[in-house]
Amino acid sequence: MGPDARAVVRSRSVAAETSQPGGAEALAVSYREVTKVYPGAESPAVDSLTLEVSAGEICVLVGPSGCGKTTAMRMANRMVEITSGDILVGDRSVRERAPAELRREIGYVIQQIGLFPHRTIGENIATVPRMLGWERERIATRVDELVALIGLDPELRGRYPSQLSGGQQQRVGVARALAANPGVMLMDEPFGAVDPINRERLQNEFLRLQAEVRKTILFVTHDIDEAIKMGDRIAVLREGGRLAQYATPAELLMAPGDGFVEDFVGADRALKRLSLMRVGDIDLWQAPLAFVGQSSAEVLTKLDGAEVPHALLVDSERRPRGWLSERDLKHEVVPPVADSSPDPVLDVSDVLRDALSDVLQAESRYAPVVDGDGRIAGVLSVEIVSEFLTSDDALTDEHAAAERPLAS
Amino acid sequence: MTGLALPIAQLDESFFRDRSESDCIRDDGAFCLQWVIDNFGDRYVTPTLEHIVLVVVSVVLGFAIAFGMALLSHRRSWLVPPFIGATGVLYTIPSVAFFFLLLPITGRGTDTAIIALTAYNLQIIYRNIVAGLANVPPDSKDAGRGMGMTEQQLLWKVELPLAVPEIVAGLRIATVSTVAIATLAVFAGGGGLGQEIIAGSAITFKTGIVVAGSLAILMAITFDVLLLLAQRRLGRWQAVRPVDSPGRGARFGERFRRRPAWTGR
Repeated sequence: MGPDARAVVRSRSVAAETSQPGGAEALAVSYREVTKVYPGAESPAVDSLTLEVSAGEICVLVGPSGCGKTTAMRMANRMVEITSGDILVGDRSVRERAPAELRREIGYVIQQIGLFPHRTIGENIATVPRMLGWERERIATRVDELVALIGLDPELRGRYPSQLSGGQQQRVGVARALAANPGVMLMDEPFGAVDPINRERLQNEFLRLQAEVRKTILFVTHDIDEAIKMGDRIAVLREGGRLAQYATPAELLMAPGDGFVEDFVGADRALKRLSLMRVGDIDLWQAPLAFVGQSSAEVLTKLDGAEVPHALLVDSERRPRGWLSERDLKHEVVPPVADSSPDPVLDVSDVLRDALSDVLQAESRYAPVVDGDGRIAGVLSVEIVSEFLTSDDALTDEHAAAERPLAS
Repeated sequence: MTGLALPIAQLDESFFRDRSESDCIRDDGAFCLQWVIDNFGDRYVTPTLEHIVLVVVSVVLGFAIAFGMALLSHRRSWLVPPFIGATGVLYTIPSVAFFFLLLPITGRGTDTAIIALTAYNLQIIYRNIVAGLANVPPDSKDAGRGMGMTEQQLLWKVELPLAVPEIVAGLRIATVSTVAIATLAVFAGGGGLGQEIIAGSAITFKTGIVVAGSLAILMAITFDVLLLLAQRRLGRWQAVRPVDSPGRGARFGERFRRRPAWTGR
């Protein structure tokens, strides 16, 4: 866990549990030539899989159905027995641990959620702490913390799962998995059964949560877009449980290892790369700035050979007011109102893909980009984006998933 | 016919006790209230209590045995067909024949009646426990195991609580049918309301049969309602409203109309 991560953790209630003795630090997970052959099967479901997942990272296992990704994940907590090879959680082999004890230290979230219908939300969340024999008081405090962490109305603690919406149930499922503060979490298509709008929201919430709790997460999905969005690293598996490529999302999109990965990633991988970045992540162009009352001649001089061949009218706080036309600049001084509006005005924190879409939709070539205070930071153009995509810069993008832009 | 002769031999003059000298008895009226009032204490209290004992003991025993069988076969699914088969065979034996078959082995009396009645319960109760356990949502089981529950914890904390509504449903059917079948316990010398029904069958005066029959029906309904209440209480998580439906003020009837399909009932 890096210093930044600690800074984030400090801010919220989870810190209480993390700082307690027994509150687990995230653990690295390491697959060593792990193979699974189901009894009676001719070919292995997972074939000699080797993966290193660093502590605090989200590793997404992705691939077509039948590629063994769920089997690969379930071997980590021995829900599926390993045929050969080994998995280390922290530095201990899972093979030499009692399954029940091991599982209590590993969070577990499944697509169908699997809340216990006969137990209240509070009781569901308390499942693992109870098994671990925590004191009543400590369990109650922890449940309160988690209910707050997932943003659930505290009044819902006493309700039964069937009284909650699908999205709320999924949040409770995540809270239940986090309850005993495991170092590692396994998540099997956790958002797969939720409608697209709620899925998007749950993914974003989860990434924000992950920025705080920094667990090591093995995340299974069949959806490459979800993999790119959620993963710090992505393991693409192909049929027969063989690893096709293990890379960061940017690497995967820039340089798919083979035809299978290229097909799986999809034809729009160039565009997908844009959703990994914010506008502020690339080198923006600068437009000549013009202030109200400034002499037009001065502005025209600046226009000569500028990256952006239009002058941008800004106010005294350097906030964009509009694009000045040639007619505007025929006046002696710069007029207070520009001929064309500055829209779309982008923010440095906007997702690059959304920003590009805004620019294209407005049928403009340039869009001013402002910083958090609304001051001009540069100009985005369609050309910059296409230049960027053909350069190698994208490979160097190493944002952790939890810090990456959340496409709206 | 020896079995039938015996209870009739137990008839005594009190059957005809008629303090009111009413015409009803002389005319063999279908139901003579005054006769019931005069005879209830003497004729019906003890058989009713005997009947309750027969039902309660045989249902409790039947449940205990069936529950043990269900636990045995729970993680050994190959045991289910033989268990269903065996309890099924017991269930198909005609009840009067069952009592007579037991007489040479266990003799006359309550024990014999209880053995037969218990045997009848096994099939219904066992089947319902097995069905209840089989209907536990697989994802709840997977989540339970994945969180580190042992098989025992999973059984007692997840599977059995979730199977309770179906188990109690089985107990309700078993109890109601035992109330009915226990009227035949008289053939095994087990007492109960059957005594009075047999006594009444020997004569033209039918009020006695009406009273004994009504008591049996009333008893069945009472047991059923008690178990229904238990079922509601133990399965209250099933009958809950989603949060966005009318709040606590919603009326009783509202609850049923508004219950969403996915609560499983």
